[in-house]
Order: sequence, then structure tokens, then C-alpha cells
Amino acid sequence: MTYFIQLLISGLVVGSIYALSALGFVLIYKSSRVLNIAHGQIIASGAFIAYALTVYAGVPLVISFFLSMAITFFLSMAVERVFLRRLIGEPIISVIMVTIGLMSIIDGVIYLTPFGSTNMSFPKFFPPEPLNLLGATVSWTQVVGVILTAIIIAALSWFFKNSTLGISMRAVSDDQLASMSIGISVPKVFGLAWALAGLTAAAAGGIIGNITGLNFDTLHAFGIIVFPVVILGGLDSIGGAVVAGIIMGLIQQFAAGYLDGNWGLQGTAEVLPYIILLILLLFKPHGLFGTHEIERV
Amino acid sequence: MATNRWLATGNFFTSYKEEQRIFLTNIDRLCLWLLIAALYAWPFFVETSNKGMLVLDNILIAMVAILGLNLVTGFAGLISIGHAAFVGVGAYTTALIASGLGTDHVFLTHAWPVVIVLSGMVGAIFGGIVGLPALRLKHLYLAIATLSFQMIFQWVINFSKLFNQGQTMSVGRVFWLTGKVGRKDHYLFWYFAVLTIVVISGFLVRNLLRTRYGRCLVAVRDNDRAADAMGMHPGFTKVYAFALAGFFAGIAGSLHCYLYRGAGIESFTLHQSISYLAMAIVGGLGTLSGSFFGPAAIRLLDLGVENLSSWSSTFLPSTMNIATALRPLTFGLVIVLFLMFEPRGIANWWRIIKSYFKLWPFKY
Repeated sequence: MTYFIQLLISGLVVGSIYALSALGFVLIYKSSRVLNIAHGQIIASGAFIAYALTVYAGVPLVISFFLSMAITFFLSMAVERVFLRRLIGEPIISVIMVTIGLMSIIDGVIYLTPFGSTNMSFPKFFPPEPLNLLGATVSWTQVVGVILTAIIIAALSWFFKNSTLGISMRAVSDDQLASMSIGISVPKVFGLAWALAGLTAAAAGGIIGNITGLNFDTLHAFGIIVFPVVILGGLDSIGGAVVAGIIMGLIQQFAAGYLDGNWGLQGTAEVLPYIILLILLLFKPHGLFGTHEIERV
Repeated sequence: MATNRWLATGNFFTSYKEEQRIFLTNIDRLCLWLLIAALYAWPFFVETSNKGMLVLDNILIAMVAILGLNLVTGFAGLISIGHAAFVGVGAYTTALIASGLGTDHVFLTHAWPVVIVLSGMVGAIFGGIVGLPALRLKHLYLAIATLSFQMIFQWVINFSKLFNQGQTMSVGRVFWLTGKVGRKDHYLFWYFAVLTIVVISGFLVRNLLRTRYGRCLVAVRDNDRAADAMGMHPGFTKVYAFALAGFFAGIAGSLHCYLYRGAGIESFTLHQSISYLAMAIVGGLGTLSGSFFGPAAIRLLDLGVENLSSWSSTFLPSTMNIATALRPLTFGLVIVLFLMFEPRGIANWWRIIKSYFKLWPFKY
């Protein structure tokens, strides 16, 4: 039973980080229909910026966490400005391929820095002795990570519901032409969507970095696992991304806990999400909460 | 109208049949045959090192793979981020035959063309399976399906004993009319073999694009609703595009396996998939000649990067692994720059050069 609770809790922790990473991906897809393949690299750069600020520049961890979010906010805004703004109006296939190119470029840049090949960990910030919850242990970093994720998601949903900018973003994702006609600048909204995606990605990266330590391959994997999560949740649903993230985290932890080692299976947590993804695409391609597109000629 | 079949200035077609011709003029035809003859003949006159030959073999194998990728991404308009995995399916089919029958079994060493085609078929089956979601959904979701196939493929290879957990599985040397192909002639022999396959599959694809089965790929890419209204099935067309891509990828994989005399996971990773995509983009998506320019350009660029990184490692600290950094960096830059400034790729430069000579002395 303790084992089950332990898996449940770690699944929730991992799942909430997945939710946060998937959020940024959905933001970009919702506003501009672009599948951002480079999302994992943005997560990684957010984490590395936070680390560089903490360790090399000596900024306190909390401040550097928020500072890295701000930096990535502007970085991904710049990426949108430089690479994607001039592709507006081009077929969406070439925009997606540009993000594949971006993924490769950011990979290369990170390999140039010492972060590409070495493992690092953030300085300890929270009390080292873990919390005891129904017999299972949870570290303070995990608790704080989950709380932070919840706060960011709540803030974003407030932003989309109440602020003018958020409402105009929702308008653009609904109908670009109509929103242009009422005076919303669509390119600006695209830029903002990328910037917000960068912000959430940096937050996700910082939390992952604090929980598991900094390893480029791990952070990279977090970027690719986003795809099964968003397909499960429905590509254009923010709420779906959150629910699906948590479901995917639970599935992974339970798979790792109960399947590995039995029947000669290994590393099932790495592959199960993708198998689920392929099956979902076959039978329920719009996921749990995605909108069904109705085509009329 | 009696037309001069040797020289033509401008395009004057009076029937669809004329427009469908592979060669516009007899000069075009002559040039191509001369080029192919030259490609076959030059190794007899020029002495080359094994290393140089290996580079050429790699370029030719990549050409076969890119013919497939160009069919699915260029002509049918579906992004495939898992092409290296399909190549891997072909390679591991050959490697499995080797480990099942023994590395020097007659089937593997004498009937190698059969093995190559068989690997292509297995690749086509996997391509079709990955393409199946196309029956249900539109747009570019399929890119995600191919990406997940890439991840599943890597996991299966890395974690199963059958595939030696990603370590190299060896394949024996093949036989030809003159007997066993020895160590000295290995790369030269495969140069001729792969060149033949490139020529055959180039003609196959060119002719496919003249038939309804090829044109329906382009129709579905350009407007799937209109294609639907004209009696094509967009879903099946996409599945069939993926199967075709898988077929060529499988052949390329099998050739790779024979050339390196084994298959290992490191040649079929996500990075490799991206470099295949770079080749298709640089060559020119949706053009046949681009499938030949792209691999050559990217492999030569790769060689340049390798030389640059080995040169720079003489004065840079050894902790910096410059080769692993520069390769994705250059590939990514090449993809992005080409998409932004020359989306039609090198094939477009080739088209401009050709039309310059065709229209000479008039201005383009």
C-alpha cells in the first residue's frame, strides 16, 4: 500500500510538471496552429539559465527562478520575432519544419556550453529531511514544485479569463480574420503566445532541475513527452493539457513501478506514452477535451 | 507540327501527352545517359581511397532514403520526423535475417537483392501502420505519430535481446559473379550496387509521378477536399504515401546494413531523422532532382563540419565536445535558412541554371 501511495505521489508530482510543460505547447498551437517541436529545448534553456544565474552569478535561487522565467519570456519572443514572424502566411508545414530546425540549433548551442555533457544539480534550498505522507515520503522540493505549478496554472487561467490580452488571444485562436477586423494585432498575439510558452517552459525547467538535477537528456525527454500529453488532452485545450499531464505522469510512474522487471520488460515508462499516443491517434484523435473539427465545403 | 526534338526554346505543348514527357528534348535525354554512364565509368579510371568511396556510398544510400522522404513530405505534404526509424526497420530486417539464418547463410550472401527488396517491403508495412491515423485525422498531427514511432523504435531496439540491445548485429560479405566480395573491393562493389538502385528508383519515382497514383499524392497535398471530390480517398492516399516512404527507407536501411556489415542503433536516432529532413529541405521539397542534390550537399557539409571540429580540437580544451555541438547547429541553421530564404531548395537553383541555357540568348 505504501508503495502504491509512493507511486501515486510521485506520479502526481511528475504529472503536474508535464502539465506545466504541455501548457506552453498548447498555447502556441492554439493561437497559431504551429506544433512547436523545439519546446523541450526551451524548457532546457530555461533550466540552464536559472542554474547559471544561481551558481555563476550568485543570485539567490528564488530570484533566479523568476528571473529565468523573465529571460526566457523575452528569448522566445525574440525567437518568434526573428524566425517565425516572417513565415506568417507561408504553409504551416514549413513553419513546423522551422521549429524542427530550431530544435537542432538550440541543441547545438547547449552542447557548446558545459551543460550539454555534464550533470549538475541546484544548490540545496529546502530542508533536506522529507515529508511523511501516509507512509510515503515526499521531498520539500517536490511539494513546492507542485504548489508552484498550481499557482502558475491558476494565474494563467485567470489571465485568459479576465484580462483584455488574454481574451484577445482566445479570440485569435478562435478566428484570426474576425479578430483582425475588430482591431487585434495577430502577429503581436503570436509573439505573446510564444513568450508565455517560454515563461511556462522556464518554470517547468526550473522545477525539474530542482527535483531531478540538471541533465540535458532528461530535460530533452520532457520536451518530447509533451506530445503524448497534448494529444491525450486534445491539442487545443488548456484544461485538457493539465488533466492529461497528470494522467500521463501517473501512467508512467505506475508502469515503472509495476511493469518493469516483470515479463522481461524494462524502461516501459519511456515507451508507454508513445504507444498510448499512437493508439489514441487511431481511435480518439481529438483527445479528451479537444474540439472536433467540422468541415463544410 | 513537326517539332525539333533536339532543341527547344520555351515550352510549347499541344497535348497533355507532350507535357507528361520525362525528357523535353533529346539533348536532355542524352545528357542524363551520359551522366549515368560517367558515374559508372569513372571508378575504372580514377584511383580512389576506401574512405572516399565510403562517403560516396553514404551519399547514394541517403539518396534512396530521401526519395522516400520526398514522396511523403514533399509530394504528399506530411512531415515525417521518424524517417531514420524507417531506415532502421529495413536495416534491422536484414540484420534479423542474418542473426536468424547465420551471418553467412546463402540467402543473405547470394540472394542479397531479394533481401534488400524484402527489407523494403517490411519498411513499407511499418510505414503503412504509422500512417494509419491519417484515415481518421487531417492536418499535421501525423508528424507526432512519426515522432512517436521513432521513440518506440529506439526503445524496442535498445531494450530487447533479439536486437542485441542496440549493439552492432553483424552481416556477412556478399557474393557476386566473380566470387566473394573481398575487403578491398567492398566499397567499390557497393558503389556500383547502390548506384544501380538509385538509378532504378529514380526512374520508378519519376514514372510514378506521371501516373494517377503519383498525381493523387500532389492533389491531396494541395487540397484534400478537392481531391476527395474528384474521387480520391485522402486517407488511403496518405497511408499509401507513408508506405512508399517506408519502402524506400527500408531499402536504404538494408543497403546501410550491408555496407557497414552490421546494424547499430546509433545510425537511426532522432538526430539522424532530422538530418534526413534537412537533406530533403535543402535539396528541395517536392522535386525529384532535389532528392539527389540534398543528400550530396548535406553529407559534404557534414564532412566539412567533421574536419572543422577535428581541426578546432587542436586548440580548444578537450572538455568541449565540438563535434556533437556543431553538427546539430549546422543542420538546424541549414534547415531554417533554407526554409526562410530558399524554400524551393537547391533544385530551384538548378532549374534557374537550366532555364538560362534554354532561353539563351534571351533574358530569363
